[in-house]
Amino acid sequence: MFSKEKTVIAYTTEKCKSCNMEEKRKFKEGDYLFAETLKCNSCDGIMQIEKIFGESIEK
Amino acid sequence: MVDFTNIDLDQLFGLSDDSNPLMMLIWILPIILFVFYGQRIQLLVTSREIKQSIKKLDAYRTEARKELIDHVKKNMNPKEDPTKKIDRFLDYFTIMPVDMDPNGIVEKVRHTVRAREDYSRNHVKSLSPEIDEVGLSKVITLLEIATSLHMIYKIINHMYLTAKKQNNYPLILPLQMILPFIMEEAEAITKAIPVFKLGQPVGDGIGPMVVGKMMQDTKKELAAFQTIVSEKEYDGRKLVLLKAEGPGSTVGRPGDAVETIIAKNKPDIIIMVDAALKMEGEDSAITAQGFGAAIGGIGIERFQIEDIATKNNIPIFAIVIKQSIKEAITLMTKEIANQAENVLSQVHEMIHENTKTGQSVLLIGVGNTIGISQ
Repeated sequence: MFSKEKTVIAYTTEKCKSCNMEEKRKFKEGDYLFAETLKCNSCDGIMQIEKIFGESIEK
Repeated sequence: MVDFTNIDLDQLFGLSDDSNPLMMLIWILPIILFVFYGQRIQLLVTSREIKQSIKKLDAYRTEARKELIDHVKKNMNPKEDPTKKIDRFLDYFTIMPVDMDPNGIVEKVRHTVRAREDYSRNHVKSLSPEIDEVGLSKVITLLEIATSLHMIYKIINHMYLTAKKQNNYPLILPLQMILPFIMEEAEAITKAIPVFKLGQPVGDGIGPMVVGKMMQDTKKELAAFQTIVSEKEYDGRKLVLLKAEGPGSTVGRPGDAVETIIAKNKPDIIIMVDAALKMEGEDSAITAQGFGAAIGGIGIERFQIEDIATKNNIPIFAIVIKQSIKEAITLMTKEIANQAENVLSQVHEMIHENTKTGQSVLLIGVGNTIGISQ
């Protein structure tokens, strides 16, 4: 009957340009789509931001 | 001794007798009251509900103003206190051209709207001339949000106070009818403030997201003000990709860009990818295909694109991603972001179905490109 309050948490998904490994983390100020970030943990490739999105959780 | 145990209530109030004056009063008084004061009672009840909504609208506009001033102070380091200047901006209005003679009205509207845009940009920039374009675009969007909420509050409050002043119930009815829609929109606009401050992509950015992904590793050029173009080969076809310049908060000027591109090289088809408002009952993040220029706004860009396409006999195809007003202007949902791959494969399918090898396609990603580069 009473809807619970929803909180939206922003996430950033990064993908390695060489080995396609994906990583999901919380959004940081300054993130934007297709920005190249750090080096990949599993190969020497460069990680690129693939998606930024919000996920709702009920409080 | 009086025996109170056997009082007959029916007899006392005469419930079984229709001619009892007390019963007649109980029935007739409310009828008289409602005949003469019904509208005033309704006005009182409705006024209370509307007053609560107006209180909320006032809180939204105050929050938007405060957030804007804080953002400017924190990120632009102005030499003087910007509060006075911002308050003056909030009351700026635009007088739309006379449309009694509709001939040439689009040009006039474009001139008025662009003059306002240029004025706002220059004056916001004057607060801190060193600010970069991305930061400037964020402040301009926050200013637009604050102005919209300020305007909504003023109009709704005016309608309410007029009805109250005149004690006119029918005058308050249209307000009561539109208020739920206005509140939904105002709430969505307020929730968009932190998203634009942080530079996160919004649901409306799905078009630029798809095209921006295709622009990776291509040479980009400026096609029009805040609008980027690049070229790429796809299965023997030449693709001309167009989107607003990210990651700032802008929709670019796709109309001007299409004009420049077509003047140089006429494409065989135009494909537009945009977010579209879903209908009630429709699922969010579903896609649909159709014909015609998929672009919102007040219509100047759509008119320009339709005009050029018609003159050059170029068919326009559209792919839209459905979403609510709130989803369109707040942080992109996971469901919408996950549709990017699907939309990309639909674009490829559309190119295959409607062009032959050697032909060219103009692909436009329409929408606000905040948080989306290329």
